[in-house]
Amino acid sequence: MSATLFQVRIGNTGTTISCAAEQTILSASIAAGLDYPYGCASGNCGACISQLESGQVAMLPRNDTSLSPAQAAAGQTLACRAQPRSDVAITWLGRGRR
Amino acid sequence: MPLDATDLSVEARRKAACKTLLRQVHAILGKEGVTPSALHAIKLKLVALGKRSEIFPPADFAMPEAEGRSHILEVEDNDGLGLYLTIGLPGKEAAPHDHGIWCVNAAISGQERHVLWRRTDDGSKPGHATIEKIGEVMVEPGNGFAMADHDIHSTEVVGDQPAIGLALYGYALARFPSVVWYHPAFASVRPLPSRRGPGAA
Repeated sequence: MSATLFQVRIGNTGTTISCAAEQTILSASIAAGLDYPYGCASGNCGACISQLESGQVAMLPRNDTSLSPAQAAAGQTLACRAQPRSDVAITWLGRGRR
Repeated sequence: MPLDATDLSVEARRKAACKTLLRQVHAILGKEGVTPSALHAIKLKLVALGKRSEIFPPADFAMPEAEGRSHILEVEDNDGLGLYLTIGLPGKEAAPHDHGIWCVNAAISGQERHVLWRRTDDGSKPGHATIEKIGEVMVEPGNGFAMADHDIHSTEVVGDQPAIGLALYGYALARFPSVVWYHPAFASVRPLPSRRGPGAA
């Protein structure tokens, strides 16, 4: 049985990638060669915090310190925890570079 | 008749042991400052505490929902030390990063591999960094690991058991400076915002 694939548009790069329903947007992005910001990749640090512009995602468990309920209510998500449930548009919220 | 240590509850013995550790750490730092030898001495103290698994029973510490969790053991006020019991589930990984503050780890149970990295570029190009592996330490019972402020490490919980350990930081997690994440596959570097507030170091 083939996996359900969704299209994920990354606003920062203008790239659209395929992401399986059981895959996180972060892992699909990295596999596609995108330098998506991340740190712990386990829902603890918040380095991959992103704005979900459109579409729906399911979230793997996370700590509230990495994404507060208020942030989630405002449409923010964690790419390392978010699995698509529809085609999605998402933008990472740059935490700055140096 | 006076109480001896075995008469105290596990929680009370744990509390006393953690406070004793922090006193010892302050004595070391007060004498030497934050030097490699001081961090080594602190590591030995933390490893010894980690061997006392009877005062860190798993039933007292909830497992993580998100692959990793830190339980506060002792956190000092202001810019004081932070001592935590950390739990990482099998397979949990963290990309290369530096904390901006020294830290020491010791295992209670399980295994966590720490890979050490060295930055090889000159830092002149914003967002760009190259790093190379320079070593590896398996933090497992009887062993520990110490890092200076800007040492770079990545971690991975190996095996099929949670890695449960002790982590001591120069600042409490809630007052961490900027953690800097490196991604060697992309030669990129990104700092997270400092938790130390405006104007803080």
